[in-house]
Amino acid sequence: MTRTIFVALLVPLAMHAQIALFTVNNGAEVPIGSVLDMGKVAAGDTASVRIRVRNIGTQTARITYFFADGVGYTIDRPSLPFTIAPGSVQDSLLSFSQTTVAPLYPANLRVDSDINSVSAIIIANVVLGPALTVFPACTGSNGPPASIDFGSVQAGQVRLCNFSLQNPSAQTMTIATFTVTGTGFQISAGPQAPFTIPAGGAITFVVNFIPGAAGMYTGSLAIETRTYTLKGTAFNTPLPTPLLEFDAGAIQSGQQRRLTMRLPTAASSSASGNVNLAFAPDTTLVTDDPAAVFLATGTRSLPFSVTQGSTLISIGGQTSAMFQTGTTSGRIRFTLAGVATVGDATTVLTIPASTISIDSSIATRRTGDLDIQVTGFDNTYSAGVMTFTFSDISGQPLSAGAIRADFTTDFRTFFTKTQAGSAFQIRVSFPVTGDTSGIGSVDVQLSNSAGIKSQHLVFQ
Amino acid sequence: MRITLGVVLYAGCAWAQSGIEVPAIGATVDTAGTLRVVQGVAGNFWLGPAIASEVLSAACSERMCLAKTDSKILSATGETDAPPGPAIFGLNGNDAIVYFPESRVFARWHEDALDLLDWRVDGEVFSVRLKEIAVRREGEVSIVHSDGSVVVSIPDGSGPVLLLPEGVLFATRDQIVLRRDHRELRLELTGAESITAMGPHYALVRTGHEIYALRIEAGHEALYQLPGSAP
Repeated sequence: MTRTIFVALLVPLAMHAQIALFTVNNGAEVPIGSVLDMGKVAAGDTASVRIRVRNIGTQTARITYFFADGVGYTIDRPSLPFTIAPGSVQDSLLSFSQTTVAPLYPANLRVDSDINSVSAIIIANVVLGPALTVFPACTGSNGPPASIDFGSVQAGQVRLCNFSLQNPSAQTMTIATFTVTGTGFQISAGPQAPFTIPAGGAITFVVNFIPGAAGMYTGSLAIETRTYTLKGTAFNTPLPTPLLEFDAGAIQSGQQRRLTMRLPTAASSSASGNVNLAFAPDTTLVTDDPAAVFLATGTRSLPFSVTQGSTLISIGGQTSAMFQTGTTSGRIRFTLAGVATVGDATTVLTIPASTISIDSSIATRRTGDLDIQVTGFDNTYSAGVMTFTFSDISGQPLSAGAIRADFTTDFRTFFTKTQAGSAFQIRVSFPVTGDTSGIGSVDVQLSNSAGIKSQHLVFQ
Repeated sequence: MRITLGVVLYAGCAWAQSGIEVPAIGATVDTAGTLRVVQGVAGNFWLGPAIASEVLSAACSERMCLAKTDSKILSATGETDAPPGPAIFGLNGNDAIVYFPESRVFARWHEDALDLLDWRVDGEVFSVRLKEIAVRREGEVSIVHSDGSVVVSIPDGSGPVLLLPEGVLFATRDQIVLRRDHRELRLELTGAESITAMGPHYALVRTGHEIYALRIEAGHEALYQLPGSAP
């Protein structure tokens, strides 16, 4: 019988514990007791606290009443009614703001569910807060949230913000909380808390913003009941305009050349970016020459970096970068990206038009045919006209004289279709009647818009 | 004797009507194990179409290209079962001597058939040709016969060797040396790890980070870097 009574008494108690109230600060739950003290709130400021309603029972709770009944208090919560499943929570924001100074602003916080009700007394003390003034070049905003903007600063440089903190009241004001937090921000001059400000008086202080690297920075300045967000951005120090230099010799098509980069004066801070290569052909027959690339990667972009105090620029981890000039006349443009420089480092190499370049050539004879093969490139994309003058083994030109052929259409079709630069291999066969062994050599002339290229070939 | 005045373009090439095609200097295995044509002219190269995948080794001459996958030798005409692992090819006309380092076996390849040879050579084999082998034994690089007897020593050779039909190409610590016709050409290059036949006029030289095309054509010898060769 005793056991039965005990169990019966327990059931209503468990039902009463269906919902419970907590405050949440940085993710930590703290049970709300009979009184929730919001502390001192500066007149005109808004103090907020996150309220959590937790369903600690085994049944779904239906919330029908959730208010803070008192002057200056508001709750940001879902519309009533709402439900909370067993084990679940519902967070809401309790805020308080008043402009009239008074030692006690009470309210009754109450939450009713279909199973039980919970309540607590809320109190707040509205005081006359100190007035903060920020001087240029920094700017301030009353928010919310109140913030101080330090502006944009070069990485490694210092931005000073001068402040004045006034006591507008008729009594001496004690400042117990006076801290700056956040990477890059620090108080460099001013009193240390706790300190006092006489009635109607003021103190001054300075906050430094010293960003170590480019990026966005935030911090906070806490003065008694108020917290100001500190904001600042940092950018990399502009590099002295890098010098892009190339190995000695005239720039032409069909070359592998070396690019080096250096600074005229030492870098004041470390920096990195990309050096990019772009090609613009003179001809309209193609839009690009894909062989104009950095050799290390076969791409048109390489990372570069320079360390503070150095003039040497590393390209792709090396002291220099090799690149191909391609087989097209035009312009190779080198640009830098991802880094600020004092001046424009863009460098343009002009690849001049040239006569057809012959990489290799061979003349062979077969029974009934003479074959001529020429491998090379035409960076003007205008090749076509060729002449062939055959000579006997004593070097005397044959009576047929120069044989002219026009392959202009074939070359244009080839260049347009391949879009791979102007490198070509052409094979020309001449049907011959009689004994080909008497033909000793051929003089080949290949024409393009830049001139005529001649090649003497001995038949093998 | 009479030469017809009409000019007839060579038929049977890729550009049958025009007789013009993209020049190629050979083939190489890229970092993904794909055998790719190296196109272009000296100083202006790019990697062209893929020929085969999962390739461990390859070599090309004027007449043919052979590629080794883990278990086969591939050619333009077919494929042949072969011992596992990479291979070292010595191309000779339509034939090839092949060395399989993992099994230390020599064989003769001909028309997609493989005949094992009873050659026995100690040391690290770098290159093979018709009856000779470039090998490093006890720190010394030399060219030996198939029975192991020394043909010639390469005292300053430190690393890879490529036996050419009429010469030898070898690496010292900081140079590539082309020895041919009693003459020697030295090109600055540090850290050569392998030298293979890329095509009739080019050898492929790999260092730790880059791939180079060494033009070995007489009178045109020069060293070029291949694009996109960084790992």
